[in-house]
Amino acid sequence: MTTSRRQFLAGLLATGLVPTPTWADAGSPQFLSAAALTDGRYVLCGIGAGQNILFQIPLPARGHAAAAHPTRPEAVAFARRPGTFAIVIDCLSGKPKATMTAPEGRHFYGHGAFSSDGQWLFTTENDYEAGQGRVGVWDVPAGYVRVDEFASGGVGPHDVKRLPGTETLVIANGGIDTHPDSGRAKLNIATMAPNLSYVRNGQLIETVALDPSLHKNSIRHLDVSASGVVAFGMQWQGGGDVSVLAGMHQLGGQAELLTAPADQLRDMRGYVGSISFSPDAALVATTSPVGGVVQIYDVDGKALMQRVTAADAGGVAACDAGFIITTGFGELGQIDQGELRLAKMAELAWDNHIVPVGV
Amino acid sequence: MRPLLFACAVTLAVGPAAARPISELTADAVNNHVLPGYKRLAERSQVLADVAQSDCVSGSPQLRAAYGDAFDAWVGVSHLRFGPSERDDRAYALAFWPDSRAVTPKTLAAMIASEDDIAQNPDDYADVSIAARGFYALEFLLYDDTIAVAGTDAYRCTLIRTVTGDIAALTDAIEDDWTGSYADQLLNPSPDGIYHTEEEAAQEMFKAVSTGLEFVGDTRLGRPLGTFDRPRASRAEARRSGRSARHVELSLAALRDLATRLAGDDAALATNLTNAFDRAQSRAEQLDDPVFAGVDDPMTRFEIEVVQQNVSAIRTVVRNELGPKLGVIAGFNALDGD
Repeated sequence: MTTSRRQFLAGLLATGLVPTPTWADAGSPQFLSAAALTDGRYVLCGIGAGQNILFQIPLPARGHAAAAHPTRPEAVAFARRPGTFAIVIDCLSGKPKATMTAPEGRHFYGHGAFSSDGQWLFTTENDYEAGQGRVGVWDVPAGYVRVDEFASGGVGPHDVKRLPGTETLVIANGGIDTHPDSGRAKLNIATMAPNLSYVRNGQLIETVALDPSLHKNSIRHLDVSASGVVAFGMQWQGGGDVSVLAGMHQLGGQAELLTAPADQLRDMRGYVGSISFSPDAALVATTSPVGGVVQIYDVDGKALMQRVTAADAGGVAACDAGFIITTGFGELGQIDQGELRLAKMAELAWDNHIVPVGV
Repeated sequence: MRPLLFACAVTLAVGPAAARPISELTADAVNNHVLPGYKRLAERSQVLADVAQSDCVSGSPQLRAAYGDAFDAWVGVSHLRFGPSERDDRAYALAFWPDSRAVTPKTLAAMIASEDDIAQNPDDYADVSIAARGFYALEFLLYDDTIAVAGTDAYRCTLIRTVTGDIAALTDAIEDDWTGSYADQLLNPSPDGIYHTEEEAAQEMFKAVSTGLEFVGDTRLGRPLGTFDRPRASRAEARRSGRSARHVELSLAALRDLATRLAGDDAALATNLTNAFDRAQSRAEQLDDPVFAGVDDPMTRFEIEVVQQNVSAIRTVVRNELGPKLGVIAGFNALDGD
C-alpha cells in the first residue's frame, strides 16, 4: 500500500497536480539514520514505527546525523566532519533534491536543525582558519541556499537543536579545534574550553560552561525535552577516568550533572555517542559504542538508574515504549521497561545517530 | 561422537595453551618498548640541555646534532600518548604540532621582540603558551630563516637554553612517572588500579598502535599531501630541519616494534604485520625526499601517496587481526565515532 501510494504521489508530483506532500506520504517514517552497507556504500534510511526500514537512499560518502524537515518529507543528510557536503533528500522519490556545499573556508560538523516553520536550516560549521565555530543559515524554500551565518559561541560546534515552541537554538560547542589540513587531529586539547550556547535571532543569549576541572570534557551531543530542558552528552579528552559524562540545563538556570558510580561510569570509556530523553522526559539515555553500554539516568534524581549492554551502541532516540537503540552491528531495538530487545535488521552498520522525524 | 570429542581435546590442548598470555604481551611492550623509549628520550633531552648551556648558537653543529638526537627519541615514543605523557599536558608542551595557524612562530616572535623575562628560566617557562615550548618551537629557534636571527643573540641564547631546559624537565618527569608507578599499573591490573583487567592494559597498547598509525597517515603524510589540486609542501612536519620523511620512517619503525611485540607468537599475524610494514617502510625509504617537496609534482606525489596507502594497509591488519587478538571488537561506531 505504502509503496504504491508513494509511487502514485511521485507520479502526480511530476505533473504538479497534488497539494504539498507530507511525511505521511513517505510512509510516515518515525526516524532517520545514516548507515554503511556491507559493500562499502553509504545510505540514509527511513525507519517506521514498527522498526522496519521504509526507504534506503544512497549517499555519496559516509553520513553522520540527519535533520528532518518539520512538515515536508525532506531530510538533510550531513557528511561527517570535516565534510563539506549535505544532501537534501526527497523522501517520497528517494532522490536528492539539492546539494548544500559549505562555503569556502567552512566545513560541516554533521548536525543541523530547522526553524519551527521549516523556512530555515541551521548547520554547525567550522571557520577553520579562524578556529571559530559558526552556524550557517540556509533558505529552505529558495532551494537550500546559503544566506547568512553567525557565531556559534565557541570552538568546534557539534550538535545543534531548537528548543521546542521557540526559535532559540542550543549549540554544543565541543571546544576542540581542528583544521581540515590535519584531518581530525585535535589542535588545542591543553586549552580547550567547551560550552553550551543559546542563540536567538543570530544573537548569543546565554553561555554555560562547567567547572574548569572539566574543561577537557567535550560537550558534544544534545537532546531537548518538550519543556525546553537540554540534556548534553560529553566526551572526555583528558587522561585517566572522568567523573561525569552527561548533564542537563535549562535556559536561565544552572547546569546539573547526571551522576553515576565511578566504576559504572568507567564502563562508558569516557565517551557518550548519543543522548536522548524518554518520551515523558523522566529519563535520559546515553550510549557508548566504545564501552558497548547504554546508561539510563533518572531525571529527578539526576543519577544513574540502570545500564544495559549493547556492543557498538550508537544511536538512541525516544520511542513510544521508551528508547530506540541502533548499533554498528546492524541491530535495532528498544529498551522497554528496562529490558533491551535488539534484533538484526539488515546487512548494514547503523551510524552514530538515529534522529526522530517531526521534532 | 568420538571424533568430535577428540577434535575438542586437540583444540583445547593446542589452541589456547600455545598462545602467550595477554599479560606477557603487555609486559614485553612495557619493558622492552615503552620504558627504554622514554628513558632514551629523557637522557637525550638532558644531553641537549647540557649542550645548549655550553653552546647556544642556532647554527652550531653540536647543538643541532643534540637536538636531532633528542627529537628522534621523541618521535620514537610519540605514539605512546597516555598516562605520564598526558599528565599536566606534558606531551602537548613537548610537541605542539600540527600548528595550523602558525601560533608557534607568532608567539616566539612576540617574545623575542619584547625580550620577555619569562624566558629567563625553565621553571617560569612552564607557564608560557605551549606553542612556544618543546621540539617544534626549538626548531624555529635553530632553523627558521626569520626566528633564528630575530632580536639579539643574547636573548635568543637564553631562550634556547630555557626551551631545552624545559624539554629536559618535561621528559624527566614523564620517565619518573613511568618508572615510579605507571609501568606497575599496566603490568599489574587490579580493580583499584588505573587498569582493571589484563585486557584493558593490552588494549591501551593496542590503541597506541592504531592512533600512532593514524597520525602517520593522516597528519605526518596527509598534511603535506593536502589535496591533488592543493598540495601543501609548506605544511610538512619539521621541514626547516629537513626531518619530515625521517619522522615517518622513525614512527613506522617504532610502531612496528610495538605491534610485533603485541602479536607475540602468533606467527600468521606476525607475518602479515611484517609484510605490511615492509612495504610501507621500503617505499618510504625509497622516496629520497626529506621534506616531501615532491607533493607538488604529480609523479613524485604519487610515490608519497603510495606510502600513505601502505600505512592504511597496515592499519587494516592492525584493526582486523591484532585488535581481535587483544579483545578489541571492531565496531563501526566504536572504531571511528564522532
